[in-house]
Amino acid sequence: MFAQLLFLLSAVLTVGCAIAVAVTKNIMHSCIFLLGSLIGIAGLYATLGADFVAVTQIMVYVGGIVILMLFAVMLTGGKDFVSRAQNLLGLAPSMGNKWTYGIGLFVGLVFLLTNVKLLSNIMKSYPVKTFGNEFPSTVSQIGHLLVKEHVLAFELSSVLLLGALVGAAIIARPRKQ
Amino acid sequence: MNQTLVSYLSQYEFYDVLLGIFGKNEGLLAFVIYLLFAGAIVGLCATIGGLGTYAERKISADIQQRIGPNRVGPYGILQFLADGVKMITKEDVMPNTADKFLFYLAPMLALIGVFATLAVLPWSNGFMMADLNVGIFYLIAISSLVGVSVFLGGYASNSKWSMLGGMRGASQIISYEIPVTISILSITLLAGGMGFGTILSQQQGTPIHWYIFHNPFAFIAFFVYFIGALAETNRAPFDLPEAESELVSGYHTEYTGMRFGFFALAEYIEVFVVCGVGAALFLGGGNLPFNVQIDIIPLQLFQVVIFMTKALILYYVVIWIRWTFPRLRVDQLMSICWKYLTPIAIFNLVGNAVWIVVFNGKSIADLVFGGH
Repeated sequence: MFAQLLFLLSAVLTVGCAIAVAVTKNIMHSCIFLLGSLIGIAGLYATLGADFVAVTQIMVYVGGIVILMLFAVMLTGGKDFVSRAQNLLGLAPSMGNKWTYGIGLFVGLVFLLTNVKLLSNIMKSYPVKTFGNEFPSTVSQIGHLLVKEHVLAFELSSVLLLGALVGAAIIARPRKQ
Repeated sequence: MNQTLVSYLSQYEFYDVLLGIFGKNEGLLAFVIYLLFAGAIVGLCATIGGLGTYAERKISADIQQRIGPNRVGPYGILQFLADGVKMITKEDVMPNTADKFLFYLAPMLALIGVFATLAVLPWSNGFMMADLNVGIFYLIAISSLVGVSVFLGGYASNSKWSMLGGMRGASQIISYEIPVTISILSITLLAGGMGFGTILSQQQGTPIHWYIFHNPFAFIAFFVYFIGALAETNRAPFDLPEAESELVSGYHTEYTGMRFGFFALAEYIEVFVVCGVGAALFLGGGNLPFNVQIDIIPLQLFQVVIFMTKALILYYVVIWIRWTFPRLRVDQLMSICWKYLTPIAIFNLVGNAVWIVVFNGKSIADLVFGGH
């Protein structure tokens, strides 16, 4: 029962905050609602039993991404960026009129339904890969997978991240005269 | 798998009795146990935080050859209660141009972030709210909410002092997370797990079996952790976010009454939490210094006492450092983090890994005296 309760709380937090991100006009508030939404997603992972992924979600997004976003927003003007454009029902900051919303909704629905129709057969026949109980926890399971089966992807992504880091340092470095 | 307080208590006979009282409803019983224990821990930690403010003033008074608070109660020990009453009854002022929503949210985020870390703090090897197998990782992750709250508090006040303090706070907390996390990672390597239960069970009560004396690299890692933890909790000599000589009082300049109290309480509890984590990771936690085969509640309480003693000794050192060292400059702060602590921490990590491979995971004590 408590698992369901937790799921409901996380789901409401996720969806509610996601809507608030889109609806609120103050970009700083948007960032904070995004934080709530991401924490809700971590809660969803936790209810699925993926504790490592849940904690990584909090670590990466709350500890890193959202703070970086807050910095970026603040350094580029902060709350002066309040949207003044006309908007749908006076709620969401507008990116178009009723025609764009209508056509977007229609295309989205068609796309969603086609995908569901196409993918449902594949999903049903896809074998669920189960691991035995040889691992004491999800952490050790992830560790084994990372350094055994997926070691190439793991190492390549670390090289990619190192490249990004070096590139950022080169761009940010003051030029020599 | 994940051990919890409830699964620990369920090995005792009184659990069955309680289960009978609750009509065999295990979920409800678990909820009630968690609720009671969470209430107890939050109460205890709030008291520790309150007494922390008293200890801070009393120890600083000792260092500066003053008397310190001595009016309320014996030796002024009830001073923190008087302060609490004062803060609650004070007027709650908000600047006219402040961002109301974020201004209210920031102190709460600070408290939420700190209290959430208490869920995995290992009071003893049985009394943990939840011995997650990602325990220490969870603690690092959730405590980054405090960084967000510092930043938001500075931003929302719409004052230049607060803004500068908040920006300094956020950048400092993000930077020092790196050496702290890498130091913790080297202990994770030694223990072979991220759960506090695993880390504690790999150490023993006698000092030679603590992880700080496991090998030279772990010894250095402890000091890297401790320095980084000081900076992460904005304690002197790294208290630039609230540097009173330049920034009035930094990110909480505009806060009054209990909202300021929330920030202060969060800071003092966070100091206790990082001291507790240091005690658990490096100093053997609540492990008993002798071998016992039985597991009874009084022994668990004794473990809590040992753990608290170690954590509070570290707490004393934190306060001692605050009133001894001058504050750093911003550039010194950043160069200490990026040019010294981070390379040292990475060196320690590699050194620990090599040590594990070369000596097959044995500590110095094992090698000298012979052991497992």
